[in-house]
Amino acid sequence: MSMLRTGLRAAPKARVFSTTATRAILPAGPQVIDGTVNDAAKIPETNPTHGSYHWSFERLISVALVPLTVAPFAAGSLHPITDAVLGATLVMHSHIGFQNCIVDYIPHRKYPKSLKAAKWALNGATAVVLYGLYEFETNDVGITEACKRIWKA
Amino acid sequence: MSLSRSSIRAAAKFSVRPSALLLPRAAVCQTRSAATTTKTSDAEAYSLLVEQRKKRPIAPHLSIYEPQLTWYMSAANRVTGVALAGSFYLFGISYALSPYIGFHVESAAIAGAFATLPLAAKMAVKATFATPFVYHSMNGLRHLTWDTARQLTIKGVYRTGYAVLAATAVGSVYLSFFV
Amino acid sequence: MNASVFARSALRAAATSRTAVPVSVRGLASVATSQTAPATPETKKPLMKKFQVYRWNPDEPEKKPYMQEYELDLNQTGPMFLDALIRMKNEVDPTLTFRRSCREGICGSCAMNIEGTNTLACLCRIDRDTSKVAKIYPLPHTYVVKDLVPDLTQFYKQYKSIKPYLQRKDAPTPMKENLQSIADRKKLDGMYECILCACCSTSCPSYWWNSSEYLGPAVLMQSYRWIADSRDQFTEERKAALDNEMSLYRCHTIMNCARTCPKGLNPGLAIAKIKKELAFGSS
Repeated sequence: MSMLRTGLRAAPKARVFSTTATRAILPAGPQVIDGTVNDAAKIPETNPTHGSYHWSFERLISVALVPLTVAPFAAGSLHPITDAVLGATLVMHSHIGFQNCIVDYIPHRKYPKSLKAAKWALNGATAVVLYGLYEFETNDVGITEACKRIWKA
Repeated sequence: MSLSRSSIRAAAKFSVRPSALLLPRAAVCQTRSAATTTKTSDAEAYSLLVEQRKKRPIAPHLSIYEPQLTWYMSAANRVTGVALAGSFYLFGISYALSPYIGFHVESAAIAGAFATLPLAAKMAVKATFATPFVYHSMNGLRHLTWDTARQLTIKGVYRTGYAVLAATAVGSVYLSFFV
Repeated sequence: MNASVFARSALRAAATSRTAVPVSVRGLASVATSQTAPATPETKKPLMKKFQVYRWNPDEPEKKPYMQEYELDLNQTGPMFLDALIRMKNEVDPTLTFRRSCREGICGSCAMNIEGTNTLACLCRIDRDTSKVAKIYPLPHTYVVKDLVPDLTQFYKQYKSIKPYLQRKDAPTPMKENLQSIADRKKLDGMYECILCACCSTSCPSYWWNSSEYLGPAVLMQSYRWIADSRDQFTEERKAALDNEMSLYRCHTIMNCARTCPKGLNPGLAIAKIKKELAFGSS
């Protein structure tokens, strides 16, 4: 009765929330809680190879890419060996980046097999790319020179 | 000093009481119907909880979170990275397989094909590669700065963020149209 | 003259002319307003604002979550979103469900997503621009218990896993505290203030995708709160517990955490410091 006077009103229309109805990005699936509410979450085993060493290596590669990327702009082109180093570093940087995507977006607990398959597919792809790059460096003109020629074409 | 304080306290006490006393008893009391409860064992309660958990929806996230420089630039960093690395991998794999499937991805062949394009198309192609490249490089420097625990305040995040966007605009325009 | 006489005379004075004594009176709120309510709220033009609130009822689990619209007069509502929610529940729709307790930003109960960002409803002012509809969601990517109530079980279990308490290897000396220099104490500033409202963790896209294994900003900052504590003697063990693929290194420095923290803390910086210490040893 006094709703209008107090300035409060519940609208009868209710909109169905749209994004949950259609396909969801990275669906979370039903909630699963291990153990009771009083158990602490499980602590994974210490593994610096996939933890701190991996992180440091990742940064090392990224830092190394800074001079390797600047050099061709400054010097015009690269010595074949430096060019090969740039190529290998780029492959490692890309590989780590793809790895991060796989670990981020394929949840280990829900799709352990897909995760493993994706990781091995990436390893395979990286191996082929490394071979291709070796061929390119030895038979063609090298990455920086190729970029330059295409850019100026 | 102490006189006025004690008098205030006394006055405050006094002035509250009567108004409370004026109320009829019924207005103060709340009536509550007795709740009907059923007894469940701990195990039953737990299995009920597990059943209920399975039906819970997930609260909306990507679609409702406010667009902010923080996560938009982070997403852009990943998208540009995957795009660049993806094309790099595509090139590497096709070069490795070219002798077997008859692809021509030698630098001379690509440069030749590129040269036949009209100027506008050339610039468009250059821009599609130069923009993500410059952005990812600049944002990479931003991330390396952060990894040393510098510029990692909200102010720093925004300052460096706008710097990266400006550098990307300048760098990609230069690489696309002036080189 | 002693004090009691003064008090008595003052009391009498207060009883006779109550308005003359400058006291702050706090009675029952409803009684006070009904007795002395000034006419101003009635004369103010109503300022109607629309709110859309996420609704889902566990008793009807097959019904999809939906947005329900409420409209209220801002001139008769308190300034914060929590005031609006309480009014909606009290006066329109008692089935609307949300958590609240302290209404002053110290308990962290009313954490929710308001107009796109995670914050505490009690600290978030209502935008008086009535042309915009204010949308209220539960904390993003949490499992919803009902309406705006998220299930934070996993969050608390993760908090428990980092052992958020002082750990010492030597037996405590009887009648002695664990002393700390002022400089060492200062290192905990900006971390101990965390109220565990989960705003930051549920704003983090990395935590959205991997909350079962990645600890998230709030819990990681509390972990660093104990790593940085000079009195704690389990620093190495604490660091070792984070040194794996998932617990810590799913953080990609997105910084939504610091952007959203209703207490103005910076979990992203704390995480960066953990990574730095794990890479280069203690700083």
